[in-house]
Amino acid sequence: MSDAQIAHVRDGGRRWTLPSVQSFSHVTEAVVAPMMDRPASRSYWIAFAAMAVLTLIGAIGIGLSLAYGPGLWGNNTAVVWGFPIANYVWWIGIGNAGTLISSLLLLTRQKWRASINRFAEAMTLFAVSMAGIFPILHLGRQQYFYWLAPYPATMGVWPQWRSALVWDFWSILSYLLFSILFFYVGLIPDLATLRDRPGRRGWRRFYGVLAMGWQGTPRQWRAQDRLHTIMAVIAVPLVCSVHSIVGLDFAASLMPGWTESIFPPYFVVGAFFSGFAVVVLIALIIRWAMKLEGLIVPAHFNVMARVILASAIVMGASYGAEWFSAWWGGDAADIRLVVYEFTGDYWWLYWLMLACNVAAAQIFWLPAMRTNVWALVAVSIAVLVGMWLERILIILNTLSNGYEPSFWRTYAPTLVDFAILIGTLGAFVWLFLIFARLIPVVSMHEVRELVSEERA
Amino acid sequence: MTAVAIATFDSEGAYLRARADAIARDHRIVGEWMPYASKALGEGEGRNGILASVLAGGALGGFGLFALESWSAVSAYPIDSGGRALWSWQAFIPAPVEFSALAGGIAGMIALFVKARLTRLNHPAFDWNEVADASQSSFVLALGCDEGEDANAALDLLAGAGATHSRLLGV
Repeated sequence: MSDAQIAHVRDGGRRWTLPSVQSFSHVTEAVVAPMMDRPASRSYWIAFAAMAVLTLIGAIGIGLSLAYGPGLWGNNTAVVWGFPIANYVWWIGIGNAGTLISSLLLLTRQKWRASINRFAEAMTLFAVSMAGIFPILHLGRQQYFYWLAPYPATMGVWPQWRSALVWDFWSILSYLLFSILFFYVGLIPDLATLRDRPGRRGWRRFYGVLAMGWQGTPRQWRAQDRLHTIMAVIAVPLVCSVHSIVGLDFAASLMPGWTESIFPPYFVVGAFFSGFAVVVLIALIIRWAMKLEGLIVPAHFNVMARVILASAIVMGASYGAEWFSAWWGGDAADIRLVVYEFTGDYWWLYWLMLACNVAAAQIFWLPAMRTNVWALVAVSIAVLVGMWLERILIILNTLSNGYEPSFWRTYAPTLVDFAILIGTLGAFVWLFLIFARLIPVVSMHEVRELVSEERA
Repeated sequence: MTAVAIATFDSEGAYLRARADAIARDHRIVGEWMPYASKALGEGEGRNGILASVLAGGALGGFGLFALESWSAVSAYPIDSGGRALWSWQAFIPAPVEFSALAGGIAGMIALFVKARLTRLNHPAFDWNEVADASQSSFVLALGCDEGEDANAALDLLAGAGATHSRLLGV
């Protein structure tokens, strides 16, 4: 970022747009022109093709798994969860953060959300879609996944409501559909902008249908604003409950290291942590690729880096609480688990996780690092790697080292495991690339309001 | 109504001034369009029924699913799962809680469509170019002029308040 832009932050200015963005039409053009008026760049198509290849690799992994079963994975008789559940928890965590960030910042009247909320919400939709793949795959008999839904079956069979699997089904389904509605409610006015802007007739009709006849009358704005706020009020506890339920999948069991009441909040903080890391990465890429320097300013990265730093401290405290509980409780299995985490089969992964999740973000104590592109990228990637390691190690350390020594097994993932993980990463980015060409990546109507306030 | 005086404004302040002047001089506002939610217009407005719809939809969805769980587990398909009670109400709570949020959201969406009169893809207002500007960059105010009224006075009012563009439309 340029010295002038950084000085803009250091001067204590609380402007969330650069002075170059002066009028409402500047906002519209800055957001719409890169997606509609300019052809996609060469680097866009290279990224598009690369992600399509990764998605194809994932599809092959999934296809093989469907054809030959879970025997192709690294899961064994002790580590029955392995990659599929770790990937699920990781993706759902990232997915939780988008709606949480958007709704929480809306309710706390944080003006800076205007530039980031749209792609944070899109991140939720794509990440939760990726997350939903894994529990279905892990069922083994994927063709019967619809048995989780209540319907009047011929044999009179109903779902087992006392199972945590049913909780997951309802939480993912409700959260995904609710997030789509929340996303759409905020998007309607911007769809009308695309409809009314000069351009190809076919695209204008496409956006016109999606805009549902939006005119922007006071009556419509009041209704839209009211519903958006009400949905934000619902979204905050919904997000917390979704990831708490994921935490309860572990905590409701009787395994060492899992039966802990701290798991639900610990999972929610982890979701917020990894989600913000993805938002920072996406914001950096969008800002550079779509030339949105006027709308996504260094102050945004400054504040997001602070959130990541605070989350890293909470994560460190959570790990400390886990170790302390084991020592203070005195349970032999719990103490053995903590020793195993530091010295057992996966010791180096555990130390790497601590470095990524707790140590890396401490660099943000230095103000200059909070607006340094390379520091932001490095820490965000470290957080994502660290959070994925945390998800897999929660499973591996406990299941490889349970109560019964005869059940102690180490775990080694297979190529198919990696193919599916890589495939979901590719599909996530691929969907984002498509999104960036179809939907305004920044909420134009909210930034217009911001510009109006800052101009005043 | 024989004519409409329509004007665009490039700032919320100018638009609100024009609106206040029009009301003060007894002009009839026949249309308003804006590029973002002007908070000034929201002040003093009562509830618009969306909250009630969300609450009703959420309650219906949540209690409905809880009732379905209870009926199917106790009556339609009673199975002994490790000796746990058939009506394990505590385990029945998470799914309805999640679903009530979704049901509330769907009900709110329907209420939005009704209250904001959406799904009407074609509307006479779309024939006015100014309305298209409103979704991109401008505040737009339209004043109705009845027979015998001085339409030019309405135009002057709009221009005097800082309109960037104004014109008369025949009706």
